[in-house]
Amino acid sequence: VSGAARPGAEAPVRELIPDDAALAARLGAEDYLADPGLVTALFLGLRLPQPLLLEGEPGVGKTEAAKALARALDTPLIRLQCYDGIDAAEALYEWNHPRQLLRIRLAESRGHPLAENELFTPGDLIRRPLLAALEHPGPRPAVLLIDELDRADDEFEAFLLELLAEAAITIPELGTIRAAHPPAVVLTSNRTRDLHDALKRRCLYHWIDYPDAEREIEILRRRVPGTAHALALDVTRALRRLREAGLQKPPGIAEAIDWVAALELLGMERLTTAGADRTLGSVLKYREDVELARARGAEWLTGAARG
Amino acid sequence: VGEAGRGGDTRHAGASAYVAGDDVRGGATRPAGASAYVTDDDVRGGATRPAGTSPYVAGGAVDAVVLAQRLGERLRAAGVPVTTERAARFARGLELVPPTDRARLYWTARVTLAGDRAQLDAFDRVFAAVFDAVRDPAGAPRGDPNAPRVPARPAPPGPAADRQGGGGDGPSGAAGADTPAGGGDRPVVLAAASARERLGEQRFDRLAPGELEEIALLAAGLRVATPRRASRRRRRSHRGDRLDLRATTRAALRTGEPFDLMRRRRRERPRRLVVLCDVSGSMAPYARAYLVLLRAAAGARAEVFAFATRLTRLTRALAGPDPDAALARAAAAAPDWAGGTRIADALAAFNDRHGRRGLARGAVVVILSDGWERGDPERLGEEMARLRRLAHRVIWVNPRRASAGYAPLVGGMQAALPHCDAFLSGHSLHAFEAVLDAIRDDARSIREEAGP
Repeated sequence: VSGAARPGAEAPVRELIPDDAALAARLGAEDYLADPGLVTALFLGLRLPQPLLLEGEPGVGKTEAAKALARALDTPLIRLQCYDGIDAAEALYEWNHPRQLLRIRLAESRGHPLAENELFTPGDLIRRPLLAALEHPGPRPAVLLIDELDRADDEFEAFLLELLAEAAITIPELGTIRAAHPPAVVLTSNRTRDLHDALKRRCLYHWIDYPDAEREIEILRRRVPGTAHALALDVTRALRRLREAGLQKPPGIAEAIDWVAALELLGMERLTTAGADRTLGSVLKYREDVELARARGAEWLTGAARG
Repeated sequence: VGEAGRGGDTRHAGASAYVAGDDVRGGATRPAGASAYVTDDDVRGGATRPAGTSPYVAGGAVDAVVLAQRLGERLRAAGVPVTTERAARFARGLELVPPTDRARLYWTARVTLAGDRAQLDAFDRVFAAVFDAVRDPAGAPRGDPNAPRVPARPAPPGPAADRQGGGGDGPSGAAGADTPAGGGDRPVVLAAASARERLGEQRFDRLAPGELEEIALLAAGLRVATPRRASRRRRRSHRGDRLDLRATTRAALRTGEPFDLMRRRRRERPRRLVVLCDVSGSMAPYARAYLVLLRAAAGARAEVFAFATRLTRLTRALAGPDPDAALARAAAAAPDWAGGTRIADALAAFNDRHGRRGLARGAVVVILSDGWERGDPERLGEEMARLRRLAHRVIWVNPRRASAGYAPLVGGMQAALPHCDAFLSGHSLHAFEAVLDAIRDDARSIREEAGP
């Protein structure tokens, strides 16, 4: 598919999301506060259209971004979680052989044996995520999330590349299935290995950073209703210190939400040294990290050291 | 539709203005290829197009495509592999997200043109150089406020009028005007010659975007030479210390008598250079500078490791002809670039995994670090002692040493110092030359450099 021939997004998408501001508003309405960079990336991915590769530290909200996009578009999110050894059958489709056998028996018992071309019907397909995304009936395309692609192997990547480029697959028994509404594709990677250049070339790329302080406060207050602004501010500052402390697993947004929820549950209105010490386990997930934070002292964490 | 069209119109005018602004500014920093770009007239024509004209007809499209091509060229020159496919995507992106302000332009460009996190630094540099040139060429306060200010790029060969035109319409016009020559009529050669003067004392952590590349160019003339060691193999030599029986016999065949006694002596090889580079937060600017300089000076002959909390071997990543790409690969290879510091752990890992196996044996080891050890200083002392026993010479380079009143009081530095043969600051190009001298030096003793 050459760049010039690409028709752009379908009319229903263009109507729903006329510009990036509209997308930002719809994401906001779904309680997903994206920074302008991510909004631009999602918008261009949707409207060019082009697969979008999202990378970032674990916990910055890569998967969440795809989910929010699906909600904003009011279409289903179809998720393919990659893992070591995933193959086409598990990602695309399988034949439901027991069902076929039963159908054959049933036809025989009725005295009308099946003709050969009746053996394989669309009803006998078990649709895995990729096929489901291609067959999505519309009116707007589904959002296809291919999660943690770095965990799959090279061959799978090559297979995926071909599928994304064609937005069609050929099932030998049935023929070619072409997507009426090619899905909006979001891929995520945790950079455990380098993805192939050919795949990267086909994708828009966005590196998601941790949100800035203001946005993080807003996110925390939206996700944990009833949080005092002062508490969210304290937590955000503490998170900043933790992320700069060189931990094995710096706290992401999910951990931040857990932490605030824990503090909120304990009735805290500010992040006190005692409160921080009691809830450290909800934000740091490695023993070494907890030890490191304890060694620095709860005063360091809460900023009490500086007054 | 009509309303949307009008909205697009005004936005587009804004877009063109941004492009035009850059184009005019571009003159200040742009190299000689300027004529390949659109002329100011072309772009200004776009900016002042009457509001009634359709925004996305030829004129608008040309602007986006030209901008995409030009930015693509600059990015490729900086090591970001922008394909035509990506450039075209950027041009289409500009239509979808009209660049009414810097942030919108930045994100559209970054999402479409960059393809990997490792490219983002280079991307930001180029983007700033192209679009922020007029605001503040340094992007940050410079080291010495009294130092003469010169445009950031080396020897812009464009016509003088072009440069002055660029300098004249923004705050940096002032900066451009107080170059030593007082304007654009200073010969290019002099500009290049003065670069050494200007940048020689510039601290590596206060470099403006682009200056590092410039320094690398200056450093291209420098060569690392390590002291030589005797190798296992011998070669024939008149002054050799051992008789070469085979050669003597062969010579004797001609004469019948062993007249000429042939001798052999050990061949000499340069010692291996091993660089351990601290890439934790505070050291990151120096680490970058050193990797660039060492690449220029030593090519692929130095073994380079980076450490912050872990030790990563960068030798492979730094190989290759393109310094920017090599740095990008190195940054990608070292997972904790600009993380915390655990020097003793890193040294222990080096000693165990590489040093003992032969990499450090008889080598000249250069450690670039500020000595801020988060772990136990005593362990650092022990690991340094191990390293010193293996290595020929250990040179510690600490940029903090350049600060007035510096004393090695940090626990880690104090513990490490007794095991160093030389302790230098290496904070600027001139100081880096002193480091090269120390690498060349064969003596095993603490050698203090003259204070800055």
